[in-house]
Amino acid sequence: MTVPALCAKAVSKRFGRINALDDVDFVLEKGEVHALLGVNGAGKSTFIKILSGVYVKDKGVIEVDGREIDCHNPKDAIRCGIATVQQHPELVADFTGYENIFLGRESARASFLSGIDRSVLKRRGDELLSRFPVEIDLSRRIEDMSAVEREIIAILQAIAGDHIRILILDEPTSTLTEVEKEVLFRLMNTLRASGISILYITHRLEEVMEIADRFSVFRGGRMISTMTPQQVRDKNLSLAELMLGETLGAVFPEKAEPAQLGELVLDVRNLRHQRLFSNVSFQLRRGEILGVFGLVGSGIDELSKVLYGALATDAGSVELNGREVSPKSPAEALKAGIFLVPGDRRVEGLSLQQSSIFNITLANLGRASSFAGFLKRSANRRKSEEFAARVTLSPANVTMPVSGFSGGNQQKIVVAKGLFADADVYIFVEPTVGVDIGARAKLYGLMRELAKTSGVIVMSTDCDEAHGISDRAFALYKGRQVVPVDRVFTRNELLMAGIMGDATHA
Amino acid sequence: MPRHGILPAGTARLLAFAALVFILGAAFTAVEPRFLSTQNISAVTRHMAANGLAALGLTLVVIVRKFDLSFAGTACFSAMTIGYMIAGGHDLWLCIMVGVLAAAVVGAFNGMAISYFGLPDIVTTIATGSIAGGLAFLYSQGRTIFQNFVTSGILDLNDARLFGYSVSFFFLIALYAVAWVFMHRTRYGASFYATGENPVSAYFSGVPVRTYTMMAFVICAVTSVFAVVLILAESGTADTNKGATLLMPAYAGVFLGAALLGGTSVLATLAGTLLITMLLDGFSLLGVPYYYSDGVVSAILLTGVVLFDARVRQLFSDLASFIQPVTSASEKRS
Amino acid sequence: MTDVISTHAVAERRHSKAINRIIGRYWLVATLLVMIAVFAFLRPQLLDSSNIATILRSSALMAIMILGLTWVIAAGKIDVSFMQIAALGNMTTAWLLASGSGWTLAAICGVAVGAVAGLLNGTLIAILGIPALIVTIASGGICASIAAALGKGTSIRIADAGLLGDLLFTNWGPVPVIAVIAALFYLISWYAQEKLTFGHYIFAMAQNEKAVNEAGIAARSLLLFLFVLSGICSAIAGVLLAASLSSGQPMIGSSYFIDGLTAVLLGGLMLRIGKPNVLGTTTAILLLSVLVSGSAMFGWADYQRQIIKGVLLLVGVAVAMQFGHRSSSPMQGA
Repeated sequence: MTVPALCAKAVSKRFGRINALDDVDFVLEKGEVHALLGVNGAGKSTFIKILSGVYVKDKGVIEVDGREIDCHNPKDAIRCGIATVQQHPELVADFTGYENIFLGRESARASFLSGIDRSVLKRRGDELLSRFPVEIDLSRRIEDMSAVEREIIAILQAIAGDHIRILILDEPTSTLTEVEKEVLFRLMNTLRASGISILYITHRLEEVMEIADRFSVFRGGRMISTMTPQQVRDKNLSLAELMLGETLGAVFPEKAEPAQLGELVLDVRNLRHQRLFSNVSFQLRRGEILGVFGLVGSGIDELSKVLYGALATDAGSVELNGREVSPKSPAEALKAGIFLVPGDRRVEGLSLQQSSIFNITLANLGRASSFAGFLKRSANRRKSEEFAARVTLSPANVTMPVSGFSGGNQQKIVVAKGLFADADVYIFVEPTVGVDIGARAKLYGLMRELAKTSGVIVMSTDCDEAHGISDRAFALYKGRQVVPVDRVFTRNELLMAGIMGDATHA
Repeated sequence: MPRHGILPAGTARLLAFAALVFILGAAFTAVEPRFLSTQNISAVTRHMAANGLAALGLTLVVIVRKFDLSFAGTACFSAMTIGYMIAGGHDLWLCIMVGVLAAAVVGAFNGMAISYFGLPDIVTTIATGSIAGGLAFLYSQGRTIFQNFVTSGILDLNDARLFGYSVSFFFLIALYAVAWVFMHRTRYGASFYATGENPVSAYFSGVPVRTYTMMAFVICAVTSVFAVVLILAESGTADTNKGATLLMPAYAGVFLGAALLGGTSVLATLAGTLLITMLLDGFSLLGVPYYYSDGVVSAILLTGVVLFDARVRQLFSDLASFIQPVTSASEKRS
Repeated sequence: MTDVISTHAVAERRHSKAINRIIGRYWLVATLLVMIAVFAFLRPQLLDSSNIATILRSSALMAIMILGLTWVIAAGKIDVSFMQIAALGNMTTAWLLASGSGWTLAAICGVAVGAVAGLLNGTLIAILGIPALIVTIASGGICASIAAALGKGTSIRIADAGLLGDLLFTNWGPVPVIAVIAALFYLISWYAQEKLTFGHYIFAMAQNEKAVNEAGIAARSLLLFLFVLSGICSAIAGVLLAASLSSGQPMIGSSYFIDGLTAVLLGGLMLRIGKPNVLGTTTAILLLSVLVSGSAMFGWADYQRQIIKGVLLLVGVAVAMQFGHRSSSPMQGA
């Protein structure tokens, strides 16, 4: 009988009155890829933070290779052979790959006064790299690298320390394209073959079936079960339902009936932005949701920003309600009646330290204030509460700072902000990144509700999302618009259109 | 960094501040009974006016999360401009207008360089402050200007009284009231806060963030001219270093206030300024030499910022959590 | 994998970067040489050996003062207290000499107070994480106050400049010994910056402090050390100035303030673009010294030079922003 790489027994952690982790037993075998699943707040993040030494457990035993360990900080964890790659790995942007991989480990016993020899770094880096089937030029600087290259650098950095036996990856695929994902999975397979155990968190359920040997589901601070993908296939289980602990209704709401379609609200013709996309044309009616699928770098982000006035157009025209508009700034776009729910809501969508009222009213301060700019405080509060109820904000507290809400609820606040902005066209970019499966269905429902009176565009790198929520969809492939020959794409056609540039392969 | 907005504990902080002022006042009075004399209170209010005016504009700059180190130099330049105009026999209000305009130009330059061209705020304002300070010498090659000061009527600004207190104090209160309404009750104030908290999100919400950043620097320059006019009125002469003393009390007022009341705001700056002025006045009443004043202000600023810093308070709550394990909300979220 | 990113755009960006890099690298040296040539052509006495010695001596003092500052700014922080720390070191030495102690003790104490001030800055900034600008404004104010208090508001005369005085005014040909010593310091510093992990981590820290922390490097200790070093360097310069001027001047540092920051930031334009480094600082100091010496020969007043320096600083920052990386902007929000 072999000793598992890592074994947790009855591990518990409390934050105040909240049981973040309750009596968790967990086994990680040697050389396996083990996925952790769960909605936000299920306890999986707390669990890996305990393993990586960020938090200290209240109770329980953790054994690595059969020996009990006691980590009080990330350094302890690394000493015990546990390395962690954060969701957004911290790298030094203008250092090379070599310099980043060996940052803090430039020589055997690094101090501030040890010498630094770049040729040695290069030799060690190449040596490390030669063990893995990835091609990457480590002499380039991080800022010139793509997302997957950065992820690889972060992984190499994590395992560059000696005797790392366990690698924890926190949502490594969240910013990667389909193609890039394969590169990462190849690396993970090689690591597994070399005997390293990988523990990784993901929200993308289809990946679990593809890469994981086993997976564990967390719910409400407890470890519910550990299974293999094969068991899921055999018993025809739904991962989403396992995570939620309840039968899941349809994630996506009903599509619009043709009879519900209203007048034409947006007419885009031959839009172009530098080399990033060109000749994009589409029409949008009230009552419908248009899906746009494209990989990272396909131009969907730029397309949304051009429509919103944050980037300039080079060519083409946009007609809103029959009148030509060419917003030069988001302020003008908002005035014209376009609202963007941006992809990176924490950076682009919210003032995190401010209240929901502040955030909800910000995009339409004209509506929020009377003559001379005086804020209508009680009316704003009433409206905010009304919209918070409509988007089912939880907790329904409009005065607390939005940083206190979960990702899904923060996104709801941005939607409420859009409701207050009272636009004719709503553009959603990556609306459910970092939103757990439960809140996701709610957000899709909100989009459908918005579409009752306005036009809605949903741009996503997730093909299922772009297809599932929309009435019609097209794909952007390297800046080129791929439209269906028939009126609508099937899901597979849309996927092929987005990753191959051609729907006929499906 | 300072947080803003009125926290749920806002009222408690306000009460704590009032208690602090009361205790301080009582302590000074106990050592030196003259502290409560009408004469002294009048002096406190007059000093508070100059410090408070300079701090008001800085508050806006800090709210948009920038720093301005140039307003002292700008104030020197404006002081000499006004002095030069007065010596030239122009109408007092015209002189002040020109001074305000000169400062506004420097402020606009700062704002343009920082918001539109993306230059780093600290270095840029050090440079413009130095240039403005150099330009102050142009009018008289650095000599003191005093001609026509008595006849121009500027001294009346210092001497005029209302209900026994200097008019400048009432001007200060009026301006703060306007600023409070502007910053906390209008869409423009909301836009200033949004610009500082998250400029990207503010931009995507249709707030012209660059304009607001620029306006903060212009307003900062202008209020420092108001402050320097009071200083000119008090001294009756214009020197090339007339505004230099504004820097320290203004920073102390803004940041001490923010530390005490839990965020940068108009009210917090007023509170900070009141505290600083009381302390300075009290110490000078006790006969502490002038050259200690900067040190005292600095020491208080440092103590205030350290004691009320979120991380330091975190440290205390961490210590407390040894006794009863309670982890803060911020840790849960991370 | 390569087709994922648009290779063309990247290549183009690299190409223009390479050109920018070359301009950035040599712009400053070229300016220095042109400036020397122009001044020497118009005023040949610039190159007299006595004038060269004067230029090098003032450069050396300046260089010693801002050696630590260079790295503080390179690490993405700011220290505006360096000139007041120099003044404090200067006055401490003078005061001790006036009260009868010997040069050795006085000099050691002068340097020690600088270390203490640096330790205060470093603790508050690196350990507690309080904004560097606020901390150093306040600590600078405290140092200035103490310096002034030591001399009761005026300067202290030093009867005998001692060994240090002799050292300062000993020349080898046109080269003062102190300049050789400063050059030696800078050579060692250059080695530490380029060849040791010390410098490597400083530049990493300016880019991404979190990454440095997560790599297990004691970034806080490094930052703390940099502030202590900055304090010590400033204080050494202060002690040397006491010997050089045969007096303790409480306001000694003020003229160095803008020069120091200008030198560091202009120096950041050289070699490592947008990043202050010791070789760049050296070049920039020479440039400023030549400017001062040359403009004195044209009879330009002090304030005119102040304006020129301010403009130079502005231009320097603008060029640094243009040719450097936006991500490594020095001192933004320090």
